[in-house]
Amino acid sequence: MMIEVIKGGLETSIQDYPGRIGFWNQGFPQSGPMDSWSFRLANLLVGNAAGAAGLECQLIGPSLKFTDDRVIAVTGANMSPSVNGVAVAMWQSIQVKSGDVLTLPFASSGARSYIAISGGIDSKPWLGSQSTFTKAGVGGVTGHAIKDGEVLPLADKVEVISRRVKPECMPELSKNKTWEIEVVAGPNDDWIDQAGQQRFLDSEWVLSAKSDRTGFRLDGPDWTFTDKAHNKAPEHGSEPSNIIDHGYPLGAINLAGQTPIILVSDGPSMGGFINPYTVISAAFWKLAQSRPGDRYQFKQVSVEEAQDLRRVLDKKCQMSSLTLIK
Amino acid sequence: MIYPEAKFSPGGDRYILVEFGNEMNLELNFLGQGLGAVIKQSAIKGVIETAPAFASILVHYDPDLIGYHDLVRELSTLINGLGSIEDIELPSRLFYLPCCYLDPWTRECVEDYQEKIHDKQSDPELVAELNGLSGVDELVRVHSGTEYWVASLGFWPGLPFMMPLDPRCRLTAPKYNPPRTWTPKGAVGMGGASTAIYPVSTPGGYQIFGRTPVPIWDTQASFPEFEQNICLFKPGDRVKFVPISEQEFIDTEKRVADKSYVYNVVDYQKFSVSQYKNWLNSIDTDKRF
Repeated sequence: MMIEVIKGGLETSIQDYPGRIGFWNQGFPQSGPMDSWSFRLANLLVGNAAGAAGLECQLIGPSLKFTDDRVIAVTGANMSPSVNGVAVAMWQSIQVKSGDVLTLPFASSGARSYIAISGGIDSKPWLGSQSTFTKAGVGGVTGHAIKDGEVLPLADKVEVISRRVKPECMPELSKNKTWEIEVVAGPNDDWIDQAGQQRFLDSEWVLSAKSDRTGFRLDGPDWTFTDKAHNKAPEHGSEPSNIIDHGYPLGAINLAGQTPIILVSDGPSMGGFINPYTVISAAFWKLAQSRPGDRYQFKQVSVEEAQDLRRVLDKKCQMSSLTLIK
Repeated sequence: MIYPEAKFSPGGDRYILVEFGNEMNLELNFLGQGLGAVIKQSAIKGVIETAPAFASILVHYDPDLIGYHDLVRELSTLINGLGSIEDIELPSRLFYLPCCYLDPWTRECVEDYQEKIHDKQSDPELVAELNGLSGVDELVRVHSGTEYWVASLGFWPGLPFMMPLDPRCRLTAPKYNPPRTWTPKGAVGMGGASTAIYPVSTPGGYQIFGRTPVPIWDTQASFPEFEQNICLFKPGDRVKFVPISEQEFIDTEKRVADKSYVYNVVDYQKFSVSQYKNWLNSIDTDKRF
């Protein structure tokens, strides 16, 4: 009852949903899948609870050998999955047999694929979650991305009826490398002047290659600030973006000097830079599926609109999004 | 200043930032920690967790269970019910933490940044100059001359955000622009008026000028201090840096590696806010010593 890792891929890690929650005040990030939409649907396709531990693959996927018969599913970015060299469909239940090898070569569109296995991965939870936080070496089986030759233990498999995801319930990846990302203004939007706020919303921001599961760095125009950012007590620090260290919301657009960094799943919980905007939870899948060089256009929504979008997304991550394969 | 009323701001669809003021003082930190404690006791529906900081607290909530405005109302009620901080007296452990100031490792890291990213003034010299000190030796004397109050943990697992309890040792520093991509494990540094210790090698924005050989977080519970918790510190602890030489750093590192190191921590004292305030009133806070 295990998977043999033939090739680990670029950075394939064990994640569960929602992740390691409740330790923000000690500096532990939530972790978990960056595109929880694709992740949850993958689990439902194999009969698991939506949050069961599966694999997140980034740009270059793994090659995995199964040692018993299992139902699996692959969702998210298209990495052209194949079993024993024969192409298999994404977004549906797939039966694999003992000895079969699943391979995900590389992403032709999107950035992150998800693999769910009936029963789920059976690693020991750490602070209540199996999610891997590689930067601190905790979670998963080893605390790190899976490596060639490693073995991933599986839990008992569950009965599965083969299903596929209805096309209208799948995330639609950008075809022109441009993404509209919804943000809520705040908590520190009043540190940015009117012109700076307008510039943020009107400009295209390019995702830097210096991005990972802790932060997405953006390239774009310079920021301008209000008086509050310039004239303040020295304990904030002297740069306009400096503030007395405070808690960071997940998804915050953290302004480090002039460099905006979106704080994502493995990001810091606290620090001394302002957060003028926050990416809403329902837009995280778009961050997950974008690649360095892709462009972001930010769209401001209200807190209530952001919470509505979250509910709409959660509804799509339910069994009603699946249909039986006839 | 301390705001007459707490300021609430949204952080996306599932966070609220509550700010109590825009300066660094113990009172604001007690408000943040105090609200965190009463939120926990009152078990407001929909609150998932909180992260108190120097002058604020971040509240993480489930918008399916409570809306933004309802939560603001609930939090306002709790804030109004917080008692006076004058009466607070709480147990506070004191950690004597070895620190090799002006060490070669943080210097190497700063030089790497100067070479590859941005040619800035070296961190210890910059902090000394900005604070009107005679040089880096005085920086070491002033920085190690006070107990530090652990106001919160964050940024990275176990990283303590600390403020000096003795105002005569108060220093300020700008934060890096842009941030460093790496920092040596155990580096000690400052940003704004805050002092922090980097638990592992991470990116960072503080000016760094010292290094401790002693682990401040440990998932393996190699030392008794980590049996209850993987993080060494908790809010309300105090830290006193003990300057050590480069050779002592290396020797201590060896004792940490073979697990013979013994943490120097005392746990019999209480911190009394009123006594602390009385003491503050008795000293000339503008002086250095």
